[in-house]
Amino acid sequence: MLLLIAPAAVVLVCFQIIPILVGMNASFRDWSLVNPLKTWVGLSQYVAVFTDPVFLKIVLPNTFILMVSSVSVSLVLGLGLASLLNKSFFGRPLVRTVILLPLTIAPVITATMIRWSFNDQFGVITTFLAYLGLPEVAWLSDRWPSFTLVILTDIWIWAPWFTIILLAALQGLPPEQFEAAKIDAATPWRTFIHVTLPMLRPVITVCVLIRSIDAFRTFDQVYILTGGGPARSTEVFSVYVYVQAFVNLDFGRGAAAAGAGAIIMLLVGVGLYRLVNRTMVRSR
Amino acid sequence: MTEVILRDVAKKYGQLSVVHGVSLTIPDGEFVVLVGPSGCGKSTTLRMIAGLESISSGTISIGGKIVNDLPPKDRDIAMVFQNYALYQQMTVYDNLAFGLRNRKVPEDEIRKEVARATQMLGLEPLLTRKPFQLSGGQQQRVAFGRCIVRHPQVFLFDEPLSNLDAKLRAQMRLEIKSLRERVPTTSVYVTHDQVEAMTLGDRVVVMKDGWIQQVGTPLEIYNQPANRFVASFIGSPAMNFIDVDLVEEQGRLRAKARDFSIRISDQTAALLRNCKATSVTLGVRPESIHLGSPPADIDTAFTGDVAVTEQLGAELVVGVNAAGATIMASRIAPDTPIAVHENVSMWMNPKSLHFFDAKTEAALR
Amino acid sequence: MIGMLAAAFRRGVFSIGILAIFVLFVGPVAILVLTSVRPASGAYYIWRGTAFTLHNFVDVMQQSQVVKAMFNSFVLSSLATIFSLGITVGSGYMLSRFSGWIQRSWFATIYIFRTVPYISWVLPLYLVNTRLGIYDTYIGLLLPHIAVHVCFFSWLMKGFFDGINPSMEHAALIDGCTRWGAFYRVALPSAMPGIAALAILCWLSTWNEFLFALILTGQRTPMITSTMAQFVTETGTEWNLMSATAVIAMLPALLVTIFGQKYVIRGLRM
Repeated sequence: MLLLIAPAAVVLVCFQIIPILVGMNASFRDWSLVNPLKTWVGLSQYVAVFTDPVFLKIVLPNTFILMVSSVSVSLVLGLGLASLLNKSFFGRPLVRTVILLPLTIAPVITATMIRWSFNDQFGVITTFLAYLGLPEVAWLSDRWPSFTLVILTDIWIWAPWFTIILLAALQGLPPEQFEAAKIDAATPWRTFIHVTLPMLRPVITVCVLIRSIDAFRTFDQVYILTGGGPARSTEVFSVYVYVQAFVNLDFGRGAAAAGAGAIIMLLVGVGLYRLVNRTMVRSR
Repeated sequence: MTEVILRDVAKKYGQLSVVHGVSLTIPDGEFVVLVGPSGCGKSTTLRMIAGLESISSGTISIGGKIVNDLPPKDRDIAMVFQNYALYQQMTVYDNLAFGLRNRKVPEDEIRKEVARATQMLGLEPLLTRKPFQLSGGQQQRVAFGRCIVRHPQVFLFDEPLSNLDAKLRAQMRLEIKSLRERVPTTSVYVTHDQVEAMTLGDRVVVMKDGWIQQVGTPLEIYNQPANRFVASFIGSPAMNFIDVDLVEEQGRLRAKARDFSIRISDQTAALLRNCKATSVTLGVRPESIHLGSPPADIDTAFTGDVAVTEQLGAELVVGVNAAGATIMASRIAPDTPIAVHENVSMWMNPKSLHFFDAKTEAALR
Repeated sequence: MIGMLAAAFRRGVFSIGILAIFVLFVGPVAILVLTSVRPASGAYYIWRGTAFTLHNFVDVMQQSQVVKAMFNSFVLSSLATIFSLGITVGSGYMLSRFSGWIQRSWFATIYIFRTVPYISWVLPLYLVNTRLGIYDTYIGLLLPHIAVHVCFFSWLMKGFFDGINPSMEHAALIDGCTRWGAFYRVALPSAMPGIAALAILCWLSTWNEFLFALILTGQRTPMITSTMAQFVTETGTEWNLMSATAVIAMLPALLVTIFGQKYVIRGLRM
């Protein structure tokens, strides 16, 4: 029995757990290229992270705004799309194929596409919006427009994920309840609210849990789309750590930020897990 | 000679005891049925014989060899599972051949064995199919075939018919019966269905809560149930139970309840006097209760209001409110005119009365 | 009459909605593909003119760094898939079939480590790799890529085996298999459809992975995603070449979407 998990456990320990320990060690030191001594500085790197106005006022809010808005909008869109695809209509197989694109294309490529489409001089969408006579928006040079783009990109990638999973769940639901609702003369909307949603709740909670944890580590889209700019205003947690470590070359600070993020995520993860367990019990 | 002997076999999951010291000797060639409600430990017992569950205490021997520490593959047994457990990715032929190939039997011998089994079970047209292309009955037949080809010392059946519908179940019951005529092998069969137990078993073992309640031939179990549980579990419609007081009246022993008093035959009375019981439970099977007045020398008449009637076509089942219970009577002529709420008189066959201790529920005899 | 009009109107709205969804998901991809077949000057004026060229692709394929990156990504994705699945299949089987404190603590471990943000261990992994001298090598990227899948895949594999009735393995035990044989010859083949789906997703996600490639590799072992990112963030103007590279990098995704749809959907549902 131990033999079965041994390879997985060894890899996990060597390439995830040990690095985490190394990272914790680094986070207590002044570890930068200009200080080869790696002086032990105790908690001061953590203090520096938690008093850094960029981290507190921009990175953390951004990260959670991205997490909440992306997960909630993707969920709603996913539910809508799944209900739509649960009906049969002309072209359904095509739509079902097309929504897989965001899931199979690398986020890096997706972000590139979006960045190109919204290019402020030559972008197709910018040009199209100008053609419609809408006021010009400097999509990638102001904080909120560019962060909106980041969120939209994330939704573009993840709404299909919700769709596929919820569609599978919808198709697995027992038909009796829907037949009963039909006989009780429930409108489609009321059926959806009172029959479909409650039955989907376990699936939805698990999806939200997984997605929320993953949304916290969003990196690719932000890095490509805005690089955290303009002026660090769209940095999220992962980008902040990257910038500290590889742009400012301050590994101690980066490791401290990474550790702080891991702890925050662990707490959020445990909290969400509790929540999921509670809703699972209730819906049983 | 394959004898299967269980000696004080018990199973514990941590503190929880699910089988308490089962002892049972199954002689060569006998077909034994373990029957009981779910959670009675019958399947666990079977799985301990198979080696799929470890044995907490006691010993199991197959063919004179203690097998407690042998893995299933070395016990020379074959088993049919409730959900058939066919290998989904293999064809029917490969399913049948799998066990033989594991034992390095030469291919042409395998072909012969498989041919023998498929012919016996009528599986020839299905050999190249995969399990998901088969109906439930066909899958079960393949599962039987998988056992037959191996010529094991013991067959084990774990509720093999419970996934089938009622009609198919009756048909497969007959097939199992004819199969065991042709392939006589020591068998242990687990079921919760009393009809399967009665029709298939040479002997029946009734279990409840991890204890053996009674071991006997189907008729012994039916006619001389060891306790109230066995009496109520076997037989359909179920046996009637009436709480009665035993009262001596003019040298005769009578069983009395509210508005109910019947005479107990002298032979039974002697037994009951021996037991010195006064408050007992009277058990009567529905088919031992008749409509109308008894012959002159029988004093077991009673009256009651009809509560319910069930027309089955071949017989009528009537429920009568009497002695503080609803007493069911079966085998009544289907065209008998009886209306609900009608007051009717009935009588019991005095030779078919069962008495159980009110506290221990053991049969008094 | 009014009813018919209303129905027609509803159908019209429905069709437009479907069309909108279609455009929404195909649009960005189409823009990218169109840009990739435009001459350099035309790339900026996507509406005007219909000039078509494959020169961008030729140009890109002549850059040794891009070709090398594609080759590296291909090899690494394949190796990572084989090893990730190989080591997690046993772990998932164990989680599904055994119980006890070892099983419970292993399950807790993989749950906890799944929540750790990648950056929190890839950053220190950079330090580890440079110390071990495996920075910017295959092995230095391959092992983290396997580690990243341990938690999630063990969990998914557990799901596959949970879906397989254990009585099939019991039958195999009685038919003369050892415990290992029952796993290898009966349980594993039954789990194959799920594992195949997972293999495709694993391959794609490794091919698409960016953060590890960015941090753990440099000029010696470039990956396709990090090479692309360089195009975008450093040159940032040669959109036609960039698009051509992106289209090439997107090919596996397109192929899987079209031909392996069944597996993607099955893989995602888990």
